[in-house]
This record gives sequence, structure tokens and C-alpha cells, in this order.
Amino acid sequence: MKYMILLYGSQRDYDVLAGRASDRPAMSAEQVAAMHKHMETFHQTLAESGELVDARGLSEPVHARRVQVRDGAPVVTDGPYPETQEVLAGYTVVECASFDRATEIAAGLVDPGTPGAYVDVRPVLDGVEDLGG
Amino acid sequence: MPETPVEDLLRSLAPQVLGALVRRFGHFDTAEDAVQEALIAAADGWPRDGVPENPRGWLITVASRRLTDLLRRDQARIRREDTVARWTPPERWLAPPADRPPEDADDTLILLFLCCHPALTPASQIALTLRAVGGLSTAEVARAFLVPEATMTRRISRGKQRIRDSGLRFAPPIGAERADRLAAVLHVLYLIFTEGYARTAGPGLLRADLTAEAIRLARLVHRLLPDDPEVLGLLALMLLTDARAPARTGPHGELVPMAEQDRSRWRADQIAEGVALITEALPRGVVGPYQLQAAIAAVHDEAPNAAATDWAQITALYEVLLGLADNPVVALNHAVAVAMSTGARAGLALLAGLAGDARLADDPRLPAARAHLWESEGDRVAAREAYRLAAALSTNLAQQRYLNARADRLADDPPAETDGGVPG
Repeated sequence: MKYMILLYGSQRDYDVLAGRASDRPAMSAEQVAAMHKHMETFHQTLAESGELVDARGLSEPVHARRVQVRDGAPVVTDGPYPETQEVLAGYTVVECASFDRATEIAAGLVDPGTPGAYVDVRPVLDGVEDLGG
Repeated sequence: MPETPVEDLLRSLAPQVLGALVRRFGHFDTAEDAVQEALIAAADGWPRDGVPENPRGWLITVASRRLTDLLRRDQARIRREDTVARWTPPERWLAPPADRPPEDADDTLILLFLCCHPALTPASQIALTLRAVGGLSTAEVARAFLVPEATMTRRISRGKQRIRDSGLRFAPPIGAERADRLAAVLHVLYLIFTEGYARTAGPGLLRADLTAEAIRLARLVHRLLPDDPEVLGLLALMLLTDARAPARTGPHGELVPMAEQDRSRWRADQIAEGVALITEALPRGVVGPYQLQAAIAAVHDEAPNAAATDWAQITALYEVLLGLADNPVVALNHAVAVAMSTGARAGLALLAGLAGDARLADDPRLPAARAHLWESEGDRVAAREAYRLAAALSTNLAQQRYLNARADRLADDPPAETDGGVPG
């Protein structure tokens, strides 16, 4: 079974990462490098165990476009997210033995330095027939 | 990736073996699968049992056997082939020996032309070239482009399917088509190179391998077509650009602009080779975009520092380049060169003319260039705003951090030292 681990972040988290001070100090180059290193090793380990399917980070919410269709015509607006709202920031898809193993992997993606930090894990359906139950 | 002698050997033999098989049997798509299997068998067996006396012959034999197996599965095709065979005069039953040496070089080149077929999307062209000519496995190509292996497998089979459907023969293109196809080959190699070079942060190891692979393939094409000036130009451009790689990032992966790079860390041997190549290419007549870009890179690489760069010559080269194609990024670089040779104001005036170009509307390079020039003019407020705008437009974290740091520096009160540096 495949599982998707969803990681969240707000525009402010991205700003801090991009070296822009807000109510929190900007991250230093060392901190960013350490974070990259952690993510790289983490996913390398998953790739070696054969459990990694795909992992991606998403660009920050200010680059998001919301697409709607009104009267048959597409209407595109800029990112609708207020600065403090957490949106999907990235995902890791794993294919592993059990939901419990996926949960164990997910725990490694929770930032231990941030109280209240979390990720979500959800089983991925393989095809439309899975929806039929 | 650290290459063992066996891996090295296999990758140089891969296009020759595939070329020999396709020339002899046709069936590019099936032959490609058969060669991959033979390569895997060799990669597995040779380090353990030793390299056979005639490694290419070994690979051709194993791949031919595998190809025959794969083709035999299709009984209908066998019957058709039998029918055709009965119509063929006996003296033509025997194909020329598949490992006949004089045609190896041509085979590799035809293979490149085949992989860069215009019916394919650039993504497929790149994937097929890396696999068929570069000898990389599907998993390696997938990892380099950060897509799941299944996606890359689909992309490669779609590419092979299209080549089959196009009914293209395994023969070198001739006349005007040859020039078009060579342009496509060079473009694909350039894309592979920039894919590797554009990455400045994050898990970058695999991407650095792509620049090495692009240079290896460009060297191969240069060996096959030693007289083509644009092939020379492309190889020179890659060597001269890649020579700066060790100085492009700081200890934590942060971006270092060319003006601030430690030039003693540039690779001197690559610069010497690139300069020699472009010097050889330029007097040959028709000057194309790769030669011009290589010439610009050579002027940068030969300067002891940013200020001592021959900006007038770079400006002139960009003007010729502008005459070849209507490209807003070339126009932007030209404006920066003008600013460096005749003053920031002249550069800013040219940049103002680009502000309405829709192709640059979302590009952080335009505000970043204006920011640098405003900063050198002493307009700290305008410069700071432009840096912030450029950072907001960029989706590359290393670039954002660089631009935000420049903006932060201008927020302090004492006037910062200005150097008019442009990101390299």
C-alpha cells in the first residue's frame, strides 16, 4: 500500500527559510543547510530501503494561483492564503508494509524543535475501483 | 557517481553496441531493451569474473541473443520475416558483421540523431539520449530528473514508440535535415547541461553528474564531427561555464555571484581547454549562438576580477547574439554589460525598455539586475524594493536567500560598499 505524508507550512515559514525576517528571525545559512542535509539523508534512507515513491516540496503560497470557472470561463486569482494559514508545503509518498510503518516514517518528518508541529499520513488509493469499496 | 573502470567501459560501449544491433536488425525499441539487459548482465558479471577479451563483441552477442528471444515471441512477425527472407537473394542474407569497427562512430552519431528526433518532446529526447547514448539506467535517469522511475519508464517507452511510428530508418539524415537534427542534438545536450548547472542548493549531487554527462556527450559529438564550429562552441561553453562551479556556492550551499567568487577556485585546466576550443572555432566562418556564448564565458573566465573584465568586448558579443535571436534574457544580459562598460545609467535605461516585455514579467532576473544597478548608483530605497520584488518572484530558495540578504544589507544605515556585482 502507498501512503502520502503531508507536510504543512505558512507563508511566514517560507519567509523565514528564504532569509527574510518577520516576527521570527530569519534562518541562517547553516540552519538551512542542516535542514537540507536532514531531508536528503532521510529520503536517501527511504530510497535505499525501497520504500520511497516520490517526495516533493511545493513553492511558497504567494506563488499559488487559484483557478475557478465562472460562466464557462476560467478565472485565475493569486494565492488566497492569509499569511498565518498553514497550507500544503510538501509531500512524501512511501510504499511500505503497513500503516504503522508509514506512521513511524512520518514521525521522522515532524520538526522536533517546534512545539505542536505535525504531519498527516493518508493511504493512497491505487485506482478508481478502490473508491467502489 | 564514482565510476569504476567497468562502468566507464560499459558506458562508452553502450551506444556502439546499440548502434550495431539497430543497424543489423532494426527494431530500435526492442534492441534498446536487449542492450540494457546485456549491460546489466555485464555490470553484474564483469567485476566478479573479469572483463572478456573482446568486451564489445561479448555485449553484441549477448544483446543479439536477447533481441532474438524478444523478437521470437512475436510469431506473426517471424512469419512475415520468413516471407521476406524468401524474397531476398541469398547473397544478401548475411548482414555485415555487427562489430565491424569503422562504422562505430557513425552508429553512435545516427543513434544520437534518432534519440533527438523532432517528433519527440524535449523531455523524451533527453531521457532517450541519456539512456541510449549515455548508457544510464532508467532508474538513474529518473533520479537525475527527480521523477518516479515509473514516470521515466513511461516517458522512455513513449519515446521509443514514437520513433517506431515515425518509420525512421537507421541512417544518417542528409541535406538540410541534417543541420536541423544536429541543432536538436546540441540543444538536448545543452538542456542536459543546464539541468545540472541550474541547481544551486539542496540534494545536488545527482545534478552535478548531469553536467559531467553533458560534457562527456559533447566531447563524443565533437570527436565524431571535429569540423563543426557550433559543436566546438557548445563544448567550449560547457567547459568554461562548469569551470566556475567550485566557487558558485558558499560553505552552506548559498549562492555566490560571479563578482564575489574566489577565482582561484575556478578550474584552470577547463578554462584553458575551453579557450583553446573557442579560439579554434571562431575563425571558421559561420558564428552561431553557442560560439558567441562560449566567447562571452571565455572573456569572464580570463579576467582576474569582475572590475578588470573586458566589458566592452562582452557588450559587443551580446550585440551580435541579439542580432541572431529576439531573446529578452540576452537583451537583459546585454544591458548589464552596457552598465558595466559605460555606466549604470545607460544600463538602467536599456532595462527600462524591457519592463513591458511579457516574457520577463514573472522573471526575477529583471528586478535583480535593476536592483544591482540602482545600488551602484546609490539609490538605496529603489534598490532595496527591487531586491525584495526579485526575491518574491523567485521560486529558488538559494536565490531568494541571496536577494533578501542584499535587501537586508541596504536596510542598515551606513552606506554599504557597492560593487555592482551581478549574480553569476
